[in-house]
Amino acid sequence: MRLQLEPGKAPKVSVRDALHGAALALLMIPASAQAQSAPSDRIDVTSLLYGEQGRTEVVEPVVRFTHLLPDGQSVSAQLAFDVITGASPSGALPSGTVQTRTSASGHVITSKAGQIPVAPFHDERVELEGTWHKPLNRLVSSDLGFHVSREKDYQSLGINAKVSTELMRRLLTVTVGGGVSHDTVFPTGGTPAGLSDGTVVNLGSNAKNVTNVLLGASRIVSRQWLVAVNGTETLERGYLTEPYKVISIMSHVNGTPIGELTDKRPSTRNRSAVLLSSVYHLSDDVLYTSYRYYWDTWSIRSHTIDLKYRHDLGDDSYIEPLLRYYQQSAASFYTVGFVEGATLPDFATSDYRLGRLRTITAGATYSFRPDFAAGEFTVRGQYMRQFGNSSPSNAIGIQRNFDLSPPVNIVAVVLGYSFDY
Amino acid sequence: MIRMRRYLWRFIATAALLLAAGCATVQPWDRDLLAEKKMSLNPSPMLQAVDEHIYFSKEASMGGMDAGGGGCGCN
Repeated sequence: MRLQLEPGKAPKVSVRDALHGAALALLMIPASAQAQSAPSDRIDVTSLLYGEQGRTEVVEPVVRFTHLLPDGQSVSAQLAFDVITGASPSGALPSGTVQTRTSASGHVITSKAGQIPVAPFHDERVELEGTWHKPLNRLVSSDLGFHVSREKDYQSLGINAKVSTELMRRLLTVTVGGGVSHDTVFPTGGTPAGLSDGTVVNLGSNAKNVTNVLLGASRIVSRQWLVAVNGTETLERGYLTEPYKVISIMSHVNGTPIGELTDKRPSTRNRSAVLLSSVYHLSDDVLYTSYRYYWDTWSIRSHTIDLKYRHDLGDDSYIEPLLRYYQQSAASFYTVGFVEGATLPDFATSDYRLGRLRTITAGATYSFRPDFAAGEFTVRGQYMRQFGNSSPSNAIGIQRNFDLSPPVNIVAVVLGYSFDY
Repeated sequence: MIRMRRYLWRFIATAALLLAAGCATVQPWDRDLLAEKKMSLNPSPMLQAVDEHIYFSKEASMGGMDAGGGGCGCN
């Protein structure tokens, strides 16, 4: 990616732009409200095609309908449908021999000797979201929303609200928001007891409640620079365990897996994040940067850096390369496995997503408005590579010979189409 | 952790004060560039939502962007 940073060069101002700005000033119309001056309806359609090498595949079409009203209000509804197939790591350790695993739904998958065992699965998910945006006065606006989602073994119902106000002659926007969600987990085949051999203790459902709050501020720094800081706090209570994951018990003699116990996680989790963002307008192009620091009560800390550079190819098209770097520490109860005879902890997981992890993402978005059709087409392609801890310190015996967290290669393509009518 | 949470809100409050205290003034007639859609913090919300969904299912972190959103059993 070649960045053409020219911070010292002031953007060119055309007569049209100057008149546009002056007209806005006379009318005291906030920048964000311009799009609302001409009420119309809008349809956005996206489709995600996602594939992990040798693991999960996802197809997710989404359609969003937005109706703009004359007084600045808008209502939108979004419907998404996910189809997820493939296999994901079960949490078990490789045995050095061929391993066969059968999922709760009867799918069978075989793992090669020395390969991380994976468990096959198939799921479908449907989600409906709705949002109502309403300006309360010239400087304050509100958003109310809800979501309903359902999959084979999980359901989520939630509402959220947000109020934004513009201060300091509209140089500063402060946002306060929050949401609650009541989720239900009903594992296929029943809920196993934590850290057990899989004994089912509950054939019904398990509750999980999520509450989150948001406080944010964005500030116009100069004619071409906008910065923001956001803080979120998410409280999760209830069944937070992954019912299909297991933890291997290793022979204390040679590290060979001799049994498995189920995953067990604490029933509370407080998650905090601070996000710093910047949008900088260069001569024509725009540079988006952000940094997020995250921490939670499971002792996970993470850093995320995100860069996007939008380069306009003309009035009707642009290309936007992107780079993202993510790094997290392991949860306090993450373990690669138990040694036979060891005292069991209160909580444990071998889910690599709760272990030490890095993700590098590179990709680009291309968007254009063709002559032959109304609307805007968008294509985004991304390549992700995840690196875990391949040689954890508590691996023993033959486990030291294996790559216990081989890199995960992921390709994600999003196709989008939007049009106003 | 309570101390960490206190730090979070102190940090947000301090950052918000710093943002508010900045002396830079941009007159309304100088906001032509800022008025462009591409100058918003999240110019492509649907693409952003897709990304958030992917990262939520593959990593242990979340948050920072918005309140609410659909839950899923993917993590």
